[in-house]
Amino acid sequence: MQHHQTPQTTPAPPRPTTTPHPKAPRPGTAGPPAWLSPALLVLGLGLWGLALPLVDFRSMEDYGLLDRLPLPFYASLVVLTAGFLVALRRAGTAPGWPLVHCVALLVALKAAPAVLYDAVRYPWASKHDAVVSALLGAGELRPYAGLSGNMSAYDQWPGFFTLNAALVRAFGVESTAAYLNWAPIVLGLILLPVLVLLYRTFTEDWRLVWTAVWIFQLANWVGQDYLAPQGLAYVLHLTVLTVVLRHFVRPGAADRLGDRAALDPAAAGVPPATSTRQRAIGVLVLAPLILAINAVHQLTPVMLCVVLAALCLTRRYRNLGLLAVTGLITLAWDLTMGRPLFLETLATLKDSLGRLTQNSRAGYTGQLTGPGPELAGRAGIAMALAVALCAVIAVLARRRLTRSTLPLLLASAAPLPLFAVNDYGGEMLFRVYLFGLPGAAFFAAAALVPAAGGARRSRGALARRRITAVALPAVLLALTAGFLPAYYGKDAMYYTPPAESALVTRAIDRMPAGGLLLATSGSFPQALHRYDEVEHWWFCEQDPAENERMLVDPARYLADRIPPGAAVHVVLTRTQDVYTAGEGLLPSGGFALLRDRLKASPLFRTVEEQPYGIVLAYAPSTTTPGGAS
Amino acid sequence: MTVNPNPNPTAASRAPRAGARAVLAVSGWLALAATLLPNAFPLRWPPVLLFVCLGPGLALLHPRPRGPRPGTRLETFALAAPLSLSLAALTSTGLFLAGSFSVAAFLVPLAALTTVAALLPGLPLPAATGTAQSGGGR
Repeated sequence: MQHHQTPQTTPAPPRPTTTPHPKAPRPGTAGPPAWLSPALLVLGLGLWGLALPLVDFRSMEDYGLLDRLPLPFYASLVVLTAGFLVALRRAGTAPGWPLVHCVALLVALKAAPAVLYDAVRYPWASKHDAVVSALLGAGELRPYAGLSGNMSAYDQWPGFFTLNAALVRAFGVESTAAYLNWAPIVLGLILLPVLVLLYRTFTEDWRLVWTAVWIFQLANWVGQDYLAPQGLAYVLHLTVLTVVLRHFVRPGAADRLGDRAALDPAAAGVPPATSTRQRAIGVLVLAPLILAINAVHQLTPVMLCVVLAALCLTRRYRNLGLLAVTGLITLAWDLTMGRPLFLETLATLKDSLGRLTQNSRAGYTGQLTGPGPELAGRAGIAMALAVALCAVIAVLARRRLTRSTLPLLLASAAPLPLFAVNDYGGEMLFRVYLFGLPGAAFFAAAALVPAAGGARRSRGALARRRITAVALPAVLLALTAGFLPAYYGKDAMYYTPPAESALVTRAIDRMPAGGLLLATSGSFPQALHRYDEVEHWWFCEQDPAENERMLVDPARYLADRIPPGAAVHVVLTRTQDVYTAGEGLLPSGGFALLRDRLKASPLFRTVEEQPYGIVLAYAPSTTTPGGAS
Repeated sequence: MTVNPNPNPTAASRAPRAGARAVLAVSGWLALAATLLPNAFPLRWPPVLLFVCLGPGLALLHPRPRGPRPGTRLETFALAAPLSLSLAALTSTGLFLAGSFSVAAFLVPLAALTTVAALLPGLPLPAATGTAQSGGGR
């Protein structure tokens, strides 16, 4: 903002139009019939609709939802992909159809749980539901309450929860459970035009835009689109990035890219440059968005600062004023509302700094165990590698496109150094992937959609066109095949029958205020019901080797660590069994052993036992000397 | 998404824009009225969801100056929801911080802002308000 350029009132020169429009069908080439794409769309959605009643999600086992999805479901995705590819060929004359196909893909990929499940998908979504309920119960924010398990952090970055509290009251529903399974669809619909706008900033080729959007949707398996602050903050982050890329071009930052001949045929011209005053006003326009990102999420503002700093490496986007304002807003929030967790994180930074391998590990402690979780893990890694490989090919092979799209490349690579800072509870790997995905998807698409235009008819260009004619559908289908296990392979952990959640709710409702809830992990619905009144200890969320020692005599192990006088209840449920086994926290059969030993121990008495789980109360008064079993 | 060849809208093109602005101006009040319906009544959902997700943002961004910059409509559409949700999140957070949250306290300021913004020109995003000089750079 400190660069002083005189604003000009003359309009930007019109974009040169010498390059044949990539959307225009080549002369003499008969495209697919106009009805084919809509017909495939209807067929695909029809198959999807027919498949849903056949999904037996209540009997999920090792492979989660994956082996419960019937053949018509898989066929629907193949048909939708075919329809999209057909629509892509007519993207110039009928630009709406690729859009409709992208929306259909979003629905087909992610709406099944929302339509089918009679319970909340994702235990963490249930946790966020509990935060909203607690907020509505309290009627105010208590960022310094010091609740156990760092639960006060949700009051320190409360924007997402206050928004949902407002929606719950405005809709007149009891809790977010009434709508939270639809969050991936709503967030996906909001994100879609932002992505299109982002990609359109760098390319005029609609085929490239839609293919990048399609790949983004397939590669976005990391599960951050549920009812969570990250989902909303991510959309806001990409919005700020897009506005910056479109409106914060500094004047006179070299003119090479103004020469159409220097650009890839698919590349868009550089956005019009803006004066210091215009960009200062732009900062004011962006300020509510930046403030909202800070109100919603603790990590995303850091990502935004890192991305804006990376953009400053280019002369085109060296907006130090914007970076300073963003940094100041972030610091102001962290030192006021977010002060407790911010200071705690700073105190631990010296331990985590530079521990690259530790910070980039996936998950919290154990190794994924069991066919479904292992397949999900492998599929996720394979997809990330496939997208990255395609992106690298495009970066190297289409250097003129890379040059003009360098800011997007930088923005996507910028979060990588955060591996050196903190592990974010085992989540940093997934978050870095998520923030790098928009750029990776764009370049992966660039590798698969060759530049259109009839100017170059070399043998090499024809060969590339033939290869990509095969590679594009193959890669899209491969990514679809990877998405399903990565997204649904662990759904046995994510779906909990309502009766099981009711058991947990009853157990916690029985506890007095100040009581202590024990469970193997916190990844089960209603785990944090009344979290502002009841303390909790997830006693298996630790080194698996320590859990092995605990299993020798679990009653004594727990009794030795329970604070004197605490009113303690232990809740052990089927979902915890699936989770601790799948995440490798407990060895095979460990959960059953734990349950049986605690149940048999005189230190614990059974309060309630159901097929879905057991509730035990800690009763030390009945202990015989030395008495744990 | 395309350049408007005629930067001076005719009376015929102004009419739908005025209609859209009128709808935006009352959208928040409609959402507020919908909350008077019984709890969990399905008709509460569409006006509330549409207004909170799109109303303030569309009102602030529409109408945009129609200059040489392409993609204006796409830009308005893409930015409307993030801007709306940002304002909604900040409003609700402020109310909970003050301990004075209620549905009316949440919707009335947003509805009032939307009404006022609908009567004014769109926000002056930098590149839409004229350009400095040619862009470029690395």
